[in-house]
Amino acid sequence: MSSVIESPVDLETRDDCAVIALHGVTREYSGHAGVVRALDHASFSIVAGEWVAITGPSGSGKSTLVNLIGCLDRPTEGKLRIDSVDVAAMSATELDRFRADKIGFVFQQFHLIPYLSALENVMLAQYFHSMTDEGEARAALERVGLGNRAEHLPSELSGGEQQRVCIARALINNPPILLADEPTGNLDAANQQIVVELLQGLHAQGHTIVMVTHDPEMAALSQRKIALSHGKVFCHPVGGPVVTLRR
Amino acid sequence: MKNRLSMGAILRRSLVHRRARSLSALVAMTVSAAVATALLTLYSDLDAKLHREFRSFGANVVVTAPSGKSLTVDALARVKSAAGNDALAAEFGYAVAATDRGTSVVVAGTDFDAVKKLDSWWQVDAWPTAGDANAVLLGQRAAQFVADEKAVTLTYADKPVTLRGIGRLRTGGDEDSRIYMPMAAFTAWTGVGPSVIEVQVPGGAAQVEAVMTRLHAALPEMKVDAVRQLVEGESRIVDKTHALMYGAVVLIALTVAVSVLATLSASVLERRRDFALMKALGGSQAQLMGMFLLEALVLALAGVAAGFVVGSAAAWGISQLNFHTSSLPSLRVVPLVLLLNVLIAAMASLFPLRVLRGLQPAALLKGE
Repeated sequence: MSSVIESPVDLETRDDCAVIALHGVTREYSGHAGVVRALDHASFSIVAGEWVAITGPSGSGKSTLVNLIGCLDRPTEGKLRIDSVDVAAMSATELDRFRADKIGFVFQQFHLIPYLSALENVMLAQYFHSMTDEGEARAALERVGLGNRAEHLPSELSGGEQQRVCIARALINNPPILLADEPTGNLDAANQQIVVELLQGLHAQGHTIVMVTHDPEMAALSQRKIALSHGKVFCHPVGGPVVTLRR
Repeated sequence: MKNRLSMGAILRRSLVHRRARSLSALVAMTVSAAVATALLTLYSDLDAKLHREFRSFGANVVVTAPSGKSLTVDALARVKSAAGNDALAAEFGYAVAATDRGTSVVVAGTDFDAVKKLDSWWQVDAWPTAGDANAVLLGQRAAQFVADEKAVTLTYADKPVTLRGIGRLRTGGDEDSRIYMPMAAFTAWTGVGPSVIEVQVPGGAAQVEAVMTRLHAALPEMKVDAVRQLVEGESRIVDKTHALMYGAVVLIALTVAVSVLATLSASVLERRRDFALMKALGGSQAQLMGMFLLEALVLALAGVAAGFVVGSAAAWGISQLNFHTSSLPSLRVVPLVLLLNVLIAAMASLFPLRVLRGLQPAALLKGE
C-alpha cells in the first residue's frame, strides 16, 4: 500500500463549505458470486475550489467513486451531497439533469465523438445541458488554445489537442466540479505539461477539481489525496503541497 | 451566434460516418419494403387477374335441357339476361352420325363466334367464318375417322351431308373426338336443336353461385350445374395464393428483422462509448433511446421510399410475365408497407435498446 495512506478517516468536518460530501456511502453490486461491496461506508468531503486526487490500485473502488461523484450512479446506502443537494434520493431523470449542470468530465481516452468537429464536440455538452451556442463553444476552445482547430475532426487532432477539446467541453456549461479521470494518462510529456498547466490555471480560477490518477507526480499536484483500498477511503488532510510536474 | 448542432445533424453525421453499417441496414429495410410492395400491389388485383386466367379455361356453368328434349328458342336469351352482361354463353346441340369410313362420331352444332370467345383456350388451326354453313371444325381424333377433311361426308338418320373441314381442334379432352358445325346447318340436317348452353361467369365462387340462383329462377325447367372442378379449384387456388403471399411477406419480414436486428445491435455495441459519453454529458435515457429510435425510423422510412420504387417495378415485371397485364404502382399499399417496416425497425430495436438501458458510462469510458 502506498505510504500516503495514514489512517482511515470516518468523516470530514467541513460540510458547511463542502461541494462534495459523502456520509457512510456504500455501493454494493449483486452478481452471480453474490453481493460485492465496491465502496464501503466512505465518508469525506471536498470544499469548493479544492484540487483533490483520488488514488488507489485497480479494484479499489475508484470507478465506483467516480460513478457516484459523477452522478452516474446512486449509493446503496449513505448520503451523497453534491453542491448541497442529496443526490442519493434523486430519480434517474433528475440525476441526468443534475449531472449536466454540476459535473464536467475529462477522460483519459478523451472520448470525443469521431464524426463531430472539435467545435461540435464542445457544443454536444451544451446540447445535452440546454441550448447550443456556437460563440461560447468557440470561446471555450480559444481558452484552451484551440481556436484555430475548431473545425477539425478528432482524427485530425493530436492527443494533447483532443484532451484540450475534452477540457473545453467539460467547462462549457460552467459546472462547479471538474471530474478528471487519469487526464494525462494517454499523453506524452509535452502534452501532459500543457494539460497540467490548464488544470492549474482552472484551479487558480477557483474550479473544484477531482482527479483520479495512478501517477504520483500528478497526485502531488493536488492539495489533497484521497486514497482507496478495498472499497475503503483514507484521506489526507487539507493543504498538500502544490508542485510543478517535471518529466 | 447561430445554433448548428441538432439531433438531426448528429444523426446525419452518425449515419454518414458509419456508411457501411447504415447502408447494410438500409438495404435490408429496402428489401422488406420492396417485397411487401410487390406482393401487396399484385395482391390488390390478384383476384381479378386469377379470375381472368381461369376464365380462359372456358365455361364454369352448364345449362342443360331435360333428357331427350331441346332447349326452348328463347333459352339463350334468358340465360344471357340472368347471367349478366359480363357473362359469355354458347349453345350446343349434339348428335351421333356415321362418317364415310363407317365410324360413329359426335357432331356438335354451335355458334363459332360465341365459342371462340367462350373457349379461348381451344387450340384451333383456323376458325370457320360466320355464315359459311358447310364449314366444320374437326377434332384432332375425329379427323382420323373421315376419308377427306376437305369433303367430310356424314350420315345421320340415313340423311347424308357433305361438309368442308376448315381447321383442326386440339383440347386434350372430349372435344378432340367431335366435329363442330354451325348450329343452323346442324339443326337443318339433324332436326336436333340445342340442348346445352355453356356459360362463363366472371368472378369467384360467390358470383358463380349468385348467377346459378338467378338461372334456376329464370329457367326452372332446365338443369343448371356448375363445373365443380373449375369453380372449386379456382377458389382453392385463389385462397392458397393469398395464403402464400401473406406467408411470403411474413417470412421475408422476419428474415429482414433478424438482419436489421444484427445490424442495429452491432451499431449500438460499437457506439456504446459514444452513448456512454452522451449519458455522462447529461443525456437522459429517453434522449439516447429517442436518438437511436429516430435512426431506426429514418432507415425504415428511407427503406419504404426505395422499396416502393423497387417493389412497384418488380410487381409490374411479374404481372407482365405471368398475367400479360400491367400492375401499376399503387399508393394504397404504402401505409401497410410503412407499418411493416416500422414494426421491423421496432422489433429489431428491442435488443439494442436493452443494451442502451444497461450502459455503465464510468466503466465504458474508462475502457473496462
